[in-house]
Amino acid sequence: MTIDATYLLQLTLNGIALGLLYALIAVGLSLIFGVMEIINFAHGEILMLGAFAMTFALPVLGLLYWPALAAAILATMLAGLLIYEVLLARLRTDEFERSILITLGLSIILIHTAQYFFTATPRMVDTQYGFDGVEIGTIRLTWTRLIGAAAALVAFAGLYLTLRFTQFGRAMRAIAQNREAALMVGIRPRVVARNAMILAAGLCGLAGSAIAPIQLVTPYMGQFLIFKAFALVTIGGLGNIPGAVVAAVALGLIESWVGGFFASAWQEGAVFLVMIVVLLLRPEGLFKRGGMRVG
Amino acid sequence: MSSPVLELVSVTAGYGDNPIVRDFSARLQAGTITTLIGGNGAGKSTLLRAIYGTNKFFSGQIVFKDEPVERLPPWERLKRGIGFVPQGRCNFPAMSVGENLKMGCYTLASSRHDVAIERVVSLFPLLRERWRTEAGNLSGGQQQILEMAMVLLLQPSLLLLDEPSLGLSPKMQGDVFATVQRIAATGVTVLVVEQNVRGALLISDRALVMEQGRKFMEGPAAEVRTDPRIRQAYLGGNIQTAA
Repeated sequence: MTIDATYLLQLTLNGIALGLLYALIAVGLSLIFGVMEIINFAHGEILMLGAFAMTFALPVLGLLYWPALAAAILATMLAGLLIYEVLLARLRTDEFERSILITLGLSIILIHTAQYFFTATPRMVDTQYGFDGVEIGTIRLTWTRLIGAAAALVAFAGLYLTLRFTQFGRAMRAIAQNREAALMVGIRPRVVARNAMILAAGLCGLAGSAIAPIQLVTPYMGQFLIFKAFALVTIGGLGNIPGAVVAAVALGLIESWVGGFFASAWQEGAVFLVMIVVLLLRPEGLFKRGGMRVG
Repeated sequence: MSSPVLELVSVTAGYGDNPIVRDFSARLQAGTITTLIGGNGAGKSTLLRAIYGTNKFFSGQIVFKDEPVERLPPWERLKRGIGFVPQGRCNFPAMSVGENLKMGCYTLASSRHDVAIERVVSLFPLLRERWRTEAGNLSGGQQQILEMAMVLLLQPSLLLLDEPSLGLSPKMQGDVFATVQRIAATGVTVLVVEQNVRGALLISDRALVMEQGRKFMEGPAAEVRTDPRIRQAYLGGNIQTAA
């Protein structure tokens, strides 16, 4: 097999763009786990809501790409707030099993509700950018991929600055590092948990709405992505946010390369094979765990 | 006698459905250091947690500066002037000393952060020297001082300390006790639970002795220190019981 350099570069750029979107999902999971000590099995469905919000906002409301993106993110943040207030606010940190049942149940309900209202038929989201893109030499990247990647990068920068330099963000890191010390300095755990849930849902909503014009939108789309995100969070070192981002971009690259050089049927299998091997060799993940580290 | 800073009236508190502290009453006067003595499981830490509001309160009354606070959440008690440094390492280990101090200002308006931090850093210059060090990389004694500083940022009227010298070298224990005395000298009332009973009694004005969740004895620290039952149980004799 000969490897064409341009083709490889094209696959690499596509892989990075895809990886950044995975990272948005993984970072949200990491935030929720750090602050609430629960794994949100319904996180993929928040992504699906974001994608369906795009299918609604663009053709039905007639919004352009950017306002539709903003509307989808706001919708998912609202969903995050509702999920927290209705289902998660009463969970104690020692109720891990209960949290699994609640979020898994919610995931199933959301999938089937979406299927009831939107049917299982995959939908395409067409934006004003269509398949337009930029061409650098023989390399071509669509605007929707570029915007998705750029939006993800901006979101990470914003998240980093928030967690590092604001009391709002530091409080999330504080609770993840030492719950008792957080109470000692007067942090209100429920308020911080609610903020984390809204923020994580917004990041996931951004991923869903950015993916919508790139991949087909179905009620089940979150399921495949969430299992990858779980593995990414573990490989990145549980609670280590830059670790999750690095692992996600690596995953995106592997997926893109395998899809480009082999039959696409191997894509998913290869990704999970790599994950299993990494977790077998380094069960603690590749980077330092815990404390919602931002650096 | 002036009205006490803290008055506990028949306090019963614990965890889940289990009351650990039962019917406990006491009064703490402003600017005094009181040591809470008792064997393992006597309920000392439970009592401190009840005063700060991080465990289950069953009955009784906790009056702080003439206001009942037993139904308030911890952050409201903190705002009113009750500071609590729990047992064990109680800081944010993956944050720098500077960030830990900023977190200590969490309930303060941002315009007051710099002044508050400058005040405690001048009290503990070590914290300025280690400003960028992750708290988890400080020695045990330095972490204890950081934790006290984090609570002192809010200028509490009452400071609850749970085993501040636990796990420290004898020299660091001495430094921590000296720090507690300096804090009390500024008018802060201190209630301390301490495994080093001898050291704690030497710096204390009063002592409360707990047995099985109830108050067993109370008095000036100098008197309690010389009580034969206390000497036998906590100051070198049989450590089984003071009864």
